[in-house]
Amino acid sequence: MTSSQTHTLEHKRSQEAARRLSDGQFAVLLLLPGVALLAGVVLYPLVAALVTAFFEQSLVLPGRTFVGLQNVVDVLQGDFLRLLGQTMVFTVGTTVLPFVIGFALALALNTRIRGAKVLRGLMLIPWLVPGVVVSFLWMWIFNANYGVMNALLQSIGLIDEPQAWLAQPGTAMGAVVLAKTWQSFPWMMVMLLAGLQTVPVELHEAAEMDGAGTVRRFFAITMPHLKGIVGLVVLLEFIWNFQHFDIIYVLTGGGPAGATQTFATAVYETAFHGFDLGKAGALGLLWMVLLMALVVVYVRFSEKGEKR
Amino acid sequence: MSLTLPPALTGTAMSRRRMLQLLGIGAGTAAVAACAPSAGSPTGAATAASAAAGAKTDFAFSSWSFTEEAAAPALEAIVAAYQDKEGVAISDVSFPYNEYINQLTLQVKGGQFAGAAHVDVAWLGSLAAMGKLQDLSALAEGRGYTEAALTAAQYDGTQYALPWTIGAIGLVTNSELLQKVGVENDAFPATIDEFETTLKDLKKLGGGLIPYAASTKAAQLKDILIWMQTFGSPLVEGDTVTIGDDASVEAVTWYKSLYDQGLIAPDVDRFDARSLFAQGRAAIYDDAPVGRGAVTEESPDKDLASKLNPVPRPVLKAGDTPRALVWGGAIAVVDGEGAATAADFAQFATSDLDTVLADYEVRGLPPVTTEALESDVVASDTFGSLFSERITATSTTNPFWAFTAYSQIETEIAEQVQAVLVGKTDPKTAMQAAGEAAQGLIG
Amino acid sequence: MSATTLDATPTPSTPPPSRPVPSATPAPRRRRGALRSERPGVRIAAWATVVVCGGFGLLPVYWLLATSLTPRDQVFAYPPRFFPAAPTLDAFAALASNEQLFVYLRNSVIVSVVTAVLSVLVSAYMGYSFSKFRYRGRRSLMYLVLASQMFPQALLLITLYSVFSAYGLLNTYTAMVLSFTTFTLPLCVWMLKGFFDTIPDELVEAARVDGASRLRIIHSIVLPLAAPGLIAAGLFAFVRGWNDFVFALTLAGPEKQTLPPGLVNTFIGEASTAWPELMAASLVVSLPVAIAFIALQKYLVGGLTAGAVKG
Repeated sequence: MTSSQTHTLEHKRSQEAARRLSDGQFAVLLLLPGVALLAGVVLYPLVAALVTAFFEQSLVLPGRTFVGLQNVVDVLQGDFLRLLGQTMVFTVGTTVLPFVIGFALALALNTRIRGAKVLRGLMLIPWLVPGVVVSFLWMWIFNANYGVMNALLQSIGLIDEPQAWLAQPGTAMGAVVLAKTWQSFPWMMVMLLAGLQTVPVELHEAAEMDGAGTVRRFFAITMPHLKGIVGLVVLLEFIWNFQHFDIIYVLTGGGPAGATQTFATAVYETAFHGFDLGKAGALGLLWMVLLMALVVVYVRFSEKGEKR
Repeated sequence: MSLTLPPALTGTAMSRRRMLQLLGIGAGTAAVAACAPSAGSPTGAATAASAAAGAKTDFAFSSWSFTEEAAAPALEAIVAAYQDKEGVAISDVSFPYNEYINQLTLQVKGGQFAGAAHVDVAWLGSLAAMGKLQDLSALAEGRGYTEAALTAAQYDGTQYALPWTIGAIGLVTNSELLQKVGVENDAFPATIDEFETTLKDLKKLGGGLIPYAASTKAAQLKDILIWMQTFGSPLVEGDTVTIGDDASVEAVTWYKSLYDQGLIAPDVDRFDARSLFAQGRAAIYDDAPVGRGAVTEESPDKDLASKLNPVPRPVLKAGDTPRALVWGGAIAVVDGEGAATAADFAQFATSDLDTVLADYEVRGLPPVTTEALESDVVASDTFGSLFSERITATSTTNPFWAFTAYSQIETEIAEQVQAVLVGKTDPKTAMQAAGEAAQGLIG
Repeated sequence: MSATTLDATPTPSTPPPSRPVPSATPAPRRRRGALRSERPGVRIAAWATVVVCGGFGLLPVYWLLATSLTPRDQVFAYPPRFFPAAPTLDAFAALASNEQLFVYLRNSVIVSVVTAVLSVLVSAYMGYSFSKFRYRGRRSLMYLVLASQMFPQALLLITLYSVFSAYGLLNTYTAMVLSFTTFTLPLCVWMLKGFFDTIPDELVEAARVDGASRLRIIHSIVLPLAAPGLIAAGLFAFVRGWNDFVFALTLAGPEKQTLPPGLVNTFIGEASTAWPELMAASLVVSLPVAIAFIALQKYLVGGLTAGAVKG
């Protein structure tokens, strides 16, 4: 990307000659602070961590030994597939659910109902409560022995007996996904609400005069305008959730019996409890490869869709 | 507490050169990627001992208790007393309890921390592995530390820390509730069978009472190890993990039956157990002496303190020695700036009689010198003395602590036990899997 | 996906304002957003959504509030009381008298504000480069920026710790600000790029013909035009710094500690958790930001409007 190419502003080169930097060089210069940050804070530590995948290395013991692909093989022979499956369930769940709730709320609060403005503000609170408190709050809500969830559901007659939401393999993942959803739907809502503002009202009004119903206008007018923002928030949310850690860790610690273990909790467990940096690095390496592949597929797919 | 206020923002803005250096590293060499492990220098007891006698210097002291409402005053008093006595400044370092060992590990490994560090005795093995803890055996002599306390703060035969507050984890009961089923304070069921009968009686009291708030959440399921030992499993022999043997399988089978009968409850960890107990909704639970303050403070029953009754853990057959797990805090000294004075401080904080007794008044944690244990203040505390007599007296360390990966070993076992509790697998298969996993981590 | 939309040559929806542009507000746009009149069915659906989804959003917030008003010895009462029997402001009073919390608060404000400013600047440059120039590797780099979020944080943390340690940056605001800024780049860069796409090239070109330097064009023409977008990006970056737990805990050291680890350190102890105080503190730290959001809403929405959203 260092070599300069064409500029979108096609204009006189004579003016350019007077300047010290070419457009290309200037463009690269603008990138520098960000690229430097990414290189220093993400890329370098990332490569350093990935390199440990090929070593037997401990967090506490000095020294390390090269072991080639042994760690990767070990990880693949472990319960890698189960981890992958659970990670996908968590990631997809915590991407789709906040999207649905956030979108529904954005649509609702984009109408002229009374109090929409204040509600938009109030709905942000879950996003603003410190993340670590979110985990503890939900752990507390879901607790089998004194949680308010049981009390609430019992009082409206949905359940007879208190349930151990976080301690049953069947409900633990759902509970964790719900807690994470609560934390991230406001962000989705804000972004989508903003997206809705870009939809020209005239288009709706014209369509309405032509007799198009609400649903039809939604798909014919609203959705096409939102494509860009929907793509961006869904992709980012997916990436963030893939590596989300603290809510799962506080709520279930990956349990019961490993039912909510994801790559992120497994890496933490391996690095900080097992002190096994090599295996943690191997998990990270596999994760990286997988996610990259997914994103490439996603981008290819969506670009094809665009070109048609 | 000597709180150093953060300098103004401008004061910490990094120099331009630094910035360039930092940014430069990314541009270049990913190849140098190793987060090079810093080799620890083994230190002899001589360093600590000789320097302790020399000039005193400033040092750092880390503890998770510096910001804890209940415990902080005790620590501040100790720090203040030492600062006055020696004319040095102690800077305090604090991390939340749950994150403490990870943070301390990173700090010590990165050479960022030197000085005195408050540690849980369970962590000594993994901290010592980094090779930066001083051998404090020279300081352990002639101060009246009990033999048991000194042993608890050793790892692999070396005195890597001075014991500070050593007790055990044992059963704590609500005597009022137990009396309702006819169990008097000094007549707690001695065997597991009798114990189970008592639990059933408690269950019959109704009202949603949880007879025994045993740990069932993954984070605390390691509590089951002591029951495995009670059933006769050694857990580890030499370098061989014995989990998967008959005793461990029986223990898990029994635990599962308690779970299925509702004698223990799902979704309980130590914090939950304390809360349930404080509310009078649990009659028995496992705890260390540190839980007393939390339980009494959270309880709407202002008399709860007088109803707390520590009891010996039931045994498999009458006559066996009750099992209990050593629990406690110690002060270790990490090599580096001020380490010598920090070692002297460690000795002062843990064995100076006045200091220790003042600490006891606030925190109520068992002291470690004979002198302190025999003092009026400590001896007149019924709960404390019963606890040490019935529980601490026969306590042993967890054999897994000897391995650096002990924490993940406990997690692996906990996960398998949980699988049994929720009915995903049977005790035998689970314990064999747990044993294999633990063996793999031991290497 | 927004990829190709973002690349599409922007259709100028705004006529280029006459230059030199004063700290400009974008020229009036077409009316967007809500319809003037709505069918009854739409209103009912909207209300139903607000009740269901809003209930999901706000009930836990209510529980946070109710807990903060409950005395410590009743917090675990069963069954839980939906309305505290003897509400008390003790927990809030305890906060006000805890000096250490104010230190955490100040650290949080400093770190989040600096992160927001730095993040906006860096992302604006980067986004502008992506938006207005064409060069080889541009697209790959844009995706690389996104990909930088994919790595497990626990591993990143361990190596990042040694990096900052090597440069003597541990226990500084700098370490936190640099990390948080980097973590906000993907969203901010993409968002601002989309925003710049809507600024007509003609406008930039006109300024160049006038002899304005390229940096000057960015600073005095493009950025003011993009002000709402910058605010939106800044708010996002602010919240990222405001909420972070594990990096703040690890990189900040005890004295530069921010609120999230500070709250845990203060209220979640070895033996017990001070629930009412923890909840009270959470409310106290999130409300000002929520109010700021409401106040800045029109800028925020305006910013997003023309930004990533539109493409």
